[in-house]
Amino acid sequence: MNEKQKYIRNFSIIAHIDHGKSTLADRILEYSNAVSKREMEEQLLDNMDLERERGITIKARAVRINYKHKDGQDYVLNLIDTPGHVDFNYEVSRSLNACEGALLVVDSTQGIEAQTLANAYLAVDCDLEIVPVINKIDLPSADVDRARNEIEDVIGIVAEDCPAVSAKVGLNIDQVLDAIVEKIPCPKGDESAPLKCLIFDSHYNAYLGVVVYVRVMDGTLKAGDKIRLMSTGAKYDVVEVGHLSAFGLEKADSISAGEVGYITASIKTVSETRVGDTVTHDENPTNEPLKGFKEALPMVFSGIYPADGAKYNDLRDALDKLKLNDAALSFEPETSIALGFGFRCGFLGLLHMEIIQERLEREFNLDLITTAPSVIYKIEKTNGETVFVDNPSNYPSPDSIATAYEPTVKSSIITPTEYVGGIMDLCQDRRGIFKDMKYLDSQRVELYYTMPLNEIVYDFFDALKSRSKGYASLDYELAGYEPSNLVKLDFLLNGEVVDALTFIVHSEKAYARARRIAEKLKDNISRQLFEIPIQAAIGSKVIARETVRALRKDVLAKCYGGDITRKKKLLEKQKEGKKKMRRLGSVEVTPEAFMAVLKLDDSDK
Amino acid sequence: MRTLGLYIHIPFCQQKCNYCDFYSFSATDKAKEDYINALCTHIEMEADCYKDCEFDTVYIGGGTPSILDPLLIERLGLAIKKHLKLTQGAEFSIEINPGTLTEEKLHSYKKIGVNRLSIGLQSTDDKLLFMLGRIHSLKDFEASYYLARKNGFDNISLDLMYSLPNQTKEDFLRTLKKAISYKPEHISAYCLKIEENTQFGKIKDILVLPNEDEEYETYLDLVDTLEKNGYSQYEISNFSKEGRRSRHNMKYWLSNEYVALGPSAHSFFNGKRYSYNPSVQEYVDSIQNGIAPKKQFEEENRYSLSKIDEYVMLRMRLSDGVSCEEFKGLFGKNLLCEYPRLEEFVAQGYVSCKNGAYSFTPKGFFVSNYILTEILSF
Repeated sequence: MNEKQKYIRNFSIIAHIDHGKSTLADRILEYSNAVSKREMEEQLLDNMDLERERGITIKARAVRINYKHKDGQDYVLNLIDTPGHVDFNYEVSRSLNACEGALLVVDSTQGIEAQTLANAYLAVDCDLEIVPVINKIDLPSADVDRARNEIEDVIGIVAEDCPAVSAKVGLNIDQVLDAIVEKIPCPKGDESAPLKCLIFDSHYNAYLGVVVYVRVMDGTLKAGDKIRLMSTGAKYDVVEVGHLSAFGLEKADSISAGEVGYITASIKTVSETRVGDTVTHDENPTNEPLKGFKEALPMVFSGIYPADGAKYNDLRDALDKLKLNDAALSFEPETSIALGFGFRCGFLGLLHMEIIQERLEREFNLDLITTAPSVIYKIEKTNGETVFVDNPSNYPSPDSIATAYEPTVKSSIITPTEYVGGIMDLCQDRRGIFKDMKYLDSQRVELYYTMPLNEIVYDFFDALKSRSKGYASLDYELAGYEPSNLVKLDFLLNGEVVDALTFIVHSEKAYARARRIAEKLKDNISRQLFEIPIQAAIGSKVIARETVRALRKDVLAKCYGGDITRKKKLLEKQKEGKKKMRRLGSVEVTPEAFMAVLKLDDSDK
Repeated sequence: MRTLGLYIHIPFCQQKCNYCDFYSFSATDKAKEDYINALCTHIEMEADCYKDCEFDTVYIGGGTPSILDPLLIERLGLAIKKHLKLTQGAEFSIEINPGTLTEEKLHSYKKIGVNRLSIGLQSTDDKLLFMLGRIHSLKDFEASYYLARKNGFDNISLDLMYSLPNQTKEDFLRTLKKAISYKPEHISAYCLKIEENTQFGKIKDILVLPNEDEEYETYLDLVDTLEKNGYSQYEISNFSKEGRRSRHNMKYWLSNEYVALGPSAHSFFNGKRYSYNPSVQEYVDSIQNGIAPKKQFEEENRYSLSKIDEYVMLRMRLSDGVSCEEFKGLFGKNLLCEYPRLEEFVAQGYVSCKNGAYSFTPKGFFVSNYILTEILSF
């Protein structure tokens, strides 16, 4: 270890959603003068609009802070921000691997939540020094002692003298900085060893190409070096290296062991630079890549279609642009008889999916129709072949299936005790297998269930929130494939299958689901001049049916005193509505009706 | 000579009916007098615009025109006659609310040339009349009706409503038959529509209303019953004995010109549609200050409906429908080439093609908006 590394601290901030992680990051930047108040924009680290609005961090960011400690020494603090949501668990773990310590923020009004625990365990797995920080002590309902006790009892780390702060009003932030310097160990890399850098994030810049964010573990890197990405073997010439200031990239001559910085090397897409991959020198490479690299695999799939078929190319361009900065997003063209041309998109999870959909609509001004989220099923066919199905329409016919498998997750739910009954019913209803239950304290319980992912993507999170008045929190991780008795459920309008409505469901739930969706279709399809039969079918067997009766009466407003304008308005309004309709065979359906069918109502929760 | 229709709006009522969202309200005698004076001045102000025109229909509507004192109605009639040219035998209608009519008023109507009465009966069931917020009973209606007949009014129309809360098809058919038994020359029958800003709108969730299918059945029986009793349908909601169509209302559908005076009144003149703001105050103030009320013109190109579409839309309100020959004469185009989907609806029985004209069948009338949005090119 050299002198330089002694004064470096690499840390992350981890927390449950809304516990104040980003606000604390802002205060740290402000306090250490990395950013002056005037320059400070609320929540600097979250720089996507959507992140700010939802109060969550979607992608990791990093920033270098120069801090003069009370011991008189100048320290370099590298704050590596992490995404706060379960969908991005892998990214969190990579960010954590770039650090030696983590601030664990706990909201003193809420205590420990599912993601607090999940993130704390991740940090422990990465051998990080965890520094608890109790936040929001300015609020009347703050209970610092309880939060302290929970941290000690539930996570098992000492919290006796941990900082209790209010990031919002900027109270006791100095204690946090002191704790970072005093408690978190400095990095211990070897500057002269072969180069070993961990990629923990990257983003696309129109001028520089991909900017790769790295933590240098061993060795030294400078502009002009030839590097190799170990997972793919791809080689690049480094154009620039530097550090990450609060205002952007700060060019440097070199970056070396213990430091956090960036590399540009004329890389064209972020998917070439995978999070978790190891960067080394092409000549004199390291023997061994860093452990733990895996590709971020999409778990949840959905068809995304432009509401206006003419916008197909716009949608493709938009997805291309999002993909530049989001290696976890996958998409490929898909055609639906009902919805026309669109894309089958893969996401890390439901939140990731919602974020992408929202960004497409907001940033690219697209109206979308999305199909129900689906997962990947593994099918062993009778001919010995194994296939993976991410689009329900492609599900093989039952007689060709030997065994069908569905992905399951290990889930943990933390809830106030009063909602345990309702939540256990819900999990049971969603085919959950009870594993364990732990009392965190007298008021809160952690439940462990193994559950099919297919049930979670089907609005489980909303149902959970609704049953716990918003108090329960959920965390889950993939737990492999289990054999399952699955069926493909088709919906027919006027005798024709609407492919976009097809989904895969456990056979025991098929009837109930079929009936409910058929009813919803009936309620949401406006009457037309002919009667429209709605059928739900497994193969050729119809298991539910409804009928949309024929339209027999329009609004016949009295056209009084020659007010023809009013009549025209009415007709135009009707025509406007009609233009948005999608023709499903001989039946016209509004995109709203289509979406309504996919949403659950209260009776489902 | 160019002929026009004249519409005059009387926005006053004794009380507002529970279903009504037209511009009307109760007012003091002073307000009524100020308004009639303003109307008379307005007629005088505008008279010059119509010096090359003759009016062949006059329609005093409301609100409740029959609420006006005989003196006021005569003053209005006088102003009309003094400043505007009426054709020989012009149709001159006024709307009557039973319960506001007196013999004296009928004499005044006679005096100014009124020759057609449109009486708002709505229902023959006193319970329903009460629920609608009408100010009259069946008895009041009968008294008014016979009084009018006694005074020589030989062209009377009755307004009816169907699809009322708790009203079955049979209930309505009883009302209809009762109405027919008075032998009016003309019957209008409107389907109740619950509008937002009405008493009914406020309580719509607790109203027990017939469903679409019942309304449809009622409508078909209504058309059938009236036809059998010598009232032929000439518009979606209008039926008449031979030669007794409302010539004034026909102008709306035939795209003929009409001038309308009063707040919220809509005109079609020189190819332009315009209206006056729905404010009596503004209307009267403006005229008292010697300024003609501001005309609100329908925005140019506001609607994607073309002139041809508008023509077809209006004509299709009528049982006579759109004549291929007239269409070709007006627009130089073949109707079916412009609207090829008409035939599709003929095949399905919603539209009929008779004597070179396309028109809605009764079942087509009831879904006419739907079909128009399908066939019109806008």
